[in-house]
Amino acid sequence: MKGLGARHIALALLAFLLVWAAVVATKVPPSEAVRSFIDGSMGGPAAWRQTFREMTPLVVTGLAVFLALRAGLFNIGADGQLTMGAAAACHFALAFPGPTGLWLGSLAAMAAGAAWALPAGLIKAYRGGHEVISTIMLNNVAGFLTVWLAAGPMRDMKQQSPTTRLLDKGSFLPNLVEGGPFRLSLALLIGILGVAILAFWLKRTVAGYELSATGANPSAAETAGVNVRAVTIKAMMASGAIAGLAGAFLVQAFEHRFYANFSPGYGFDGLGVALLSGGSPWGLVPSAFLFAVLSSGTSSIQLTGVPKGLNGILLGLLIMVFASVRYRRSRTVGD
Amino acid sequence: MHGVSQTFGSVRALQEVDFVASSRAIHALVGENGAGKTTLMRILYGGLQPDSAEITIDGSPVHFRTSAEAIRAGIGMVSQHYSIISELTCLENLMLGAEPSWALNKAAAERRASELARQMGYSFEWKAPAADLSPAGKQKLEILKLLWRKAKIMILDEPTAMLSPGDSDALFASLKQLAEQGATVIVVTHRLPEVVEHCETVTVLRAGKLVASKAVRDTNLMELAELIVGHSVATSSYEALERRETLFRATGLTVKGYRGDDAVKAADLEIAEGEVVGLAGVDGNGQRELFQAIVGRAKVKAGSISFAGSDWTKRPPSERLADGLRLIPEDRHAEGVIDDWSLTENAALGLQRRHGFARGPLIDQKGRWAAAQHIADRFRTKHGGLNAPMKSLSGGNQQRFVAARALESETRFIIAFQPTRGLDIDGTALVYGAIREECRKGACALIVSFDLDELIEQCDRIVAICNGSVVQPGSGLERDRAAIGRLMVGAT
Repeated sequence: MKGLGARHIALALLAFLLVWAAVVATKVPPSEAVRSFIDGSMGGPAAWRQTFREMTPLVVTGLAVFLALRAGLFNIGADGQLTMGAAAACHFALAFPGPTGLWLGSLAAMAAGAAWALPAGLIKAYRGGHEVISTIMLNNVAGFLTVWLAAGPMRDMKQQSPTTRLLDKGSFLPNLVEGGPFRLSLALLIGILGVAILAFWLKRTVAGYELSATGANPSAAETAGVNVRAVTIKAMMASGAIAGLAGAFLVQAFEHRFYANFSPGYGFDGLGVALLSGGSPWGLVPSAFLFAVLSSGTSSIQLTGVPKGLNGILLGLLIMVFASVRYRRSRTVGD
Repeated sequence: MHGVSQTFGSVRALQEVDFVASSRAIHALVGENGAGKTTLMRILYGGLQPDSAEITIDGSPVHFRTSAEAIRAGIGMVSQHYSIISELTCLENLMLGAEPSWALNKAAAERRASELARQMGYSFEWKAPAADLSPAGKQKLEILKLLWRKAKIMILDEPTAMLSPGDSDALFASLKQLAEQGATVIVVTHRLPEVVEHCETVTVLRAGKLVASKAVRDTNLMELAELIVGHSVATSSYEALERRETLFRATGLTVKGYRGDDAVKAADLEIAEGEVVGLAGVDGNGQRELFQAIVGRAKVKAGSISFAGSDWTKRPPSERLADGLRLIPEDRHAEGVIDDWSLTENAALGLQRRHGFARGPLIDQKGRWAAAQHIADRFRTKHGGLNAPMKSLSGGNQQRFVAARALESETRFIIAFQPTRGLDIDGTALVYGAIREECRKGACALIVSFDLDELIEQCDRIVAICNGSVVQPGSGLERDRAAIGRLMVGAT
């Protein structure tokens, strides 16, 4: 990315003013809103715990979407794949208490996520049907299916709401740091490790090269001997598997059970995280962190009377400003 | 235009160039790849801001900050890559960006379009999608787009690069007509015979400097060639080949075309080790489908393809590449390169699994870098570093890179579609020289071109393709211009 021009600074200022206006419109003193925002996201161990908790599924779903994007696929279905993964992970953890349930659940979550992405991959590869449409539809199927699971076969009848019983402690994903109000789950470390692995795989392996070629120019890739269909299907499945793993992490590290309407939209936020990450997988980490700060900050700001919807305004503006900087028309060099 | 200078980073694309064109005439602008022709024209068209320039039109100074301003001043440009959008109809393409008003009156627009077409002696199915147009049809539509915008100064960048000889002649007839009606026509071209035959004045650029500007009647082909290149052109020599083992063999090959009919019909073709075979034909006679079938991207309906004893008919492109098939595709941007990627990354495209580019599942970083260096140096590709994106290169330099890549590693069969598209005399000689060298070492080559003269000059023998059928000229006539010309148009 080249240096920022006056126009970009003006754009950022304009975005800032819009947010300011939104806060002012709620009649909450802006200074109080800002203080509450910072306190809720980074002000003390409990706030940090909340921010890192939010960041974990975002890194992993961001990773899932990023991989698909590299292959030229817009995986809007990460949310459904995540939900299916969470349900599968929960089922196996309940059926096999202890570490076995943790391992089997993780594998089952990846398989479930991959299976949920597979139809979209097949439709894209063999019929040219757009993955945005098919994955959105699969999201809805996953949503209703898991509501039924949580309210029916998997339900703990002792509970008021449609939810499963709690997992056995032995099936929890352990925390790296556990002391007082601050906690840091192993899941976040695994997510960041995943980022490192993807970065290496894309840059340094022939398979990563062929996947990137498919995404950048499928016709040129095919001419260069890449099996574009196979890459498309595999990339979609891998993306689904990673999103499924995000669902497993939510169950194993944070919620310890599965319930109806499980995901508050982590799959969709993962899309924003991936788009904001720029060209490199490493961008996913700060990008997910930023999303997490905004999420925990705006949760806390609600207490002062600002609606949670501010989160959406902030993210939307952020992505637009970023896109205008990154995707502006590049000047080409002449003959 | 007077004293035009332009630099890109450390590259001085133009230095103090003067260019004059008067109305009612066709002017040629010639020079090697990277000589600065397109840059000069883009400055005139407002697409680039020069470091310094005085531009006057009809005696009054002008300064265009954008192309829109240039269009308003009556300047129009048809670039090397047509700007026709396949999904739109011909009429929509014609109006795009210059709609008469915000509410479209298609009937009135169609009347005016038909009137313009009639003046030029063209006919268009206005409601048909532009995807159905042949290259010549697209070129005609581009010219009508200029007229639609009331352009007085018309710039055409390599207008005949994709046209058959007959279409090229028709194009120049159209341009002559426009000039007679008062237009100023500027043609950027590599094809010197066109200049001598059709243009009134010619301006020669070399390495960003003005070399000559003179009336065409005061010069000749040889002088122009010397002015452009600046050093003597290497001429390739031919020695008669003894017939050797047949490497490539297509038997009864039938390939379905985009429109559902058979684009290639029961074609037989054999190429022996060491041979450079030319495939001559008018554009749209099945060359593209034959090319894709050999590459492995088009499904073979009947017949077979084999190479060096292995049956390729049902094998995927990757296995054919592993056998030594190397490509110089027709459409570089769609099939040959990835514009946003660096030269190094593009160097591996198609060779990514070959020795020197991969070590097991991993990319051989050092090997790839060295290969990219070698590919870039081979045909003297001008570039701004191997990490620069492919799109930062001029069209001709991209072509040099793609051609060199096809010859880089374990090449056994080169199939090239218009390999010298956008290349100058020097580049053409280098590329063909290298192809011949590779064939002398045991490879073979099939060259598809619409330029019969080029094929006669460069190939060992030529076969023609006409309406999907591959026809061999009689014995002793393999390089006979008249004989092959007749086969190309289906006359026997």
